[in-house]
Amino acid sequence: MNSLSSINNKKIIVMTILSLICILGYVLINVNFSDRELLIFAFKIRGPKLAAMVITAFAIGAASIVFQSVINNTIVTPCLLGMNSLYTLIHTAVVFFLGSGSVIAANANLSFITDVILMGIAATFIYSWLFKKTKHNVLYVLLVGTVLTSFFGSIQSSLTRIMDPNEYDTLLTTLVANFNNINTEIIVLSVVLLIFLAFALRKELALLDVLTLGKEQAINLGVDYDKSIRRLLLGVTLCIAVATAMVGPISFLGLIIANLSRQLLKTYRHTYLVLGSALFGIIVLLGGQIIVEHVYSYSVPISVFITVGGGLYFLYLLLSRKQV
Amino acid sequence: MIIKNLLKQYSGKTVVDGVSFEIPKGKVVSLIGPNGAGKSTVMSMISRLTSPDGGIVEFDGKDITKWNSKDLSKKLAILTQTNNIQMKLTVRELVAFGRFPHSGSKITSEDEKIIDDAINYMELKEFEHRFIDELSGGQRQRALIAMVIAQNTDYILLDEPTNNLDIYHATNMMKIVRRLCDELGKTVILVLHEINYAAFYSDYICAFKDGKVSKFGTVEEVITKENLSHIYNVDFEILNVEGRPLSIYY
Repeated sequence: MNSLSSINNKKIIVMTILSLICILGYVLINVNFSDRELLIFAFKIRGPKLAAMVITAFAIGAASIVFQSVINNTIVTPCLLGMNSLYTLIHTAVVFFLGSGSVIAANANLSFITDVILMGIAATFIYSWLFKKTKHNVLYVLLVGTVLTSFFGSIQSSLTRIMDPNEYDTLLTTLVANFNNINTEIIVLSVVLLIFLAFALRKELALLDVLTLGKEQAINLGVDYDKSIRRLLLGVTLCIAVATAMVGPISFLGLIIANLSRQLLKTYRHTYLVLGSALFGIIVLLGGQIIVEHVYSYSVPISVFITVGGGLYFLYLLLSRKQV
Repeated sequence: MIIKNLLKQYSGKTVVDGVSFEIPKGKVVSLIGPNGAGKSTVMSMISRLTSPDGGIVEFDGKDITKWNSKDLSKKLAILTQTNNIQMKLTVRELVAFGRFPHSGSKITSEDEKIIDDAINYMELKEFEHRFIDELSGGQRQRALIAMVIAQNTDYILLDEPTNNLDIYHATNMMKIVRRLCDELGKTVILVLHEINYAAFYSDYICAFKDGKVSKFGTVEEVITKENLSHIYNVDFEILNVEGRPLSIYY
């Protein structure tokens, strides 16, 4: 056991170094050091992007691992169940019903808080009902999740179709966030929210190792199962809301980084798994973004790589498992 | 532990109907009966995994639903049939989870000793660093029992522990149950399908039929030709082997 955790410590250290290399690379490649003005200009653009991507990596990495452990299956991620479509829908609905000129919709932080609160309520309600109804049967959960994804998507596009074109125009800039158009206004608020979540859920996070033994074993070992699951699920939802608000929906990122982390670390300890998943997130996002910016000169967005790579990896995971 | 008038309904259908009996301390008690007789449901209500729709389970003089779950987990352990552990977990790490109610995630040196004892007791020393998903069914079952032993509770509840085991491993499992009671002084409550295992290794038997207790008593009282024929609707013959009633059905 000790040798295993010392190997994992080494793996984490190596990954941290790789992440730092990616961070440095992202900030420093092709920067003109001789001209001070240009240097400041480059940092002004790259700094917030870097912050947003690191936050996204942590939010999605942690959310995916926690979610997988909660529903006890490693091929499902919150995004596959439509959580980010739900966020997009809520965001659209708020603008639709209140109007883009209203205080809530116009102020980035205020609108973010409104979205997050609505998302927390709606998602807890929908997903805990979904899990209870399907009795955690993963195939049903996946199926219903896929249907929900397009369901939320359809409502959202209906709303945008009957919207006032001017409203739609304002909405679009915040709606189609991506890695080249990051919502930087909410960075501070997101960090505060994530830190608050980690603090509020510290007890439940410590229970994660036990929760993965399954419902019966967890209850046997004295865990208040339903309550812990509810609170963790709420945490997952809010993490996804943060990530989606900042960089838009990226469906397969969570799947890739969570499973790479599980494959590399081969442990049940969530301290390692969550950390590993977040570090993989940083490596994938920043590494990918470096390639997009410097090799492809922005002609291909990073989400294309993540979706193609993630899709193939998802198929591999499905087919390499003997039983689902 | 006293069980009074337990009632459980699933979508309008009554599966457990007014079940009452008392579990004597320090004995092996087996719950037997045909499929759907409600024995597993009763088991999960005794262990607080399911909440009853009526009646009460009194444990140490207090309603089991009123117990703090954490305190209860130091006194009562349950092992169900469904144990699909998806995580990469070694035998030793699994057994260590048995200490969770006592020490949380921080394993003390005293816990390490208890874990060692449990592993040795179940003869798992040579597998202790193997992953659970690489073990055979019998070994995995033993690892789970070792975890229950490490939990060190007075009451141990096992739901069909011999399920999916071959004769050799199933018999060993029953011998372990007997030793848990005789050597460690535990009260063991089992759900069993094999009547003869129940007859040979338990002190008391509770027989269920159609959600009701059909017969509760010592092995000799329950395992009779008339009782079994009535419970299972099959013809039985009872032989006497080593002073125990052995049933034959055909």
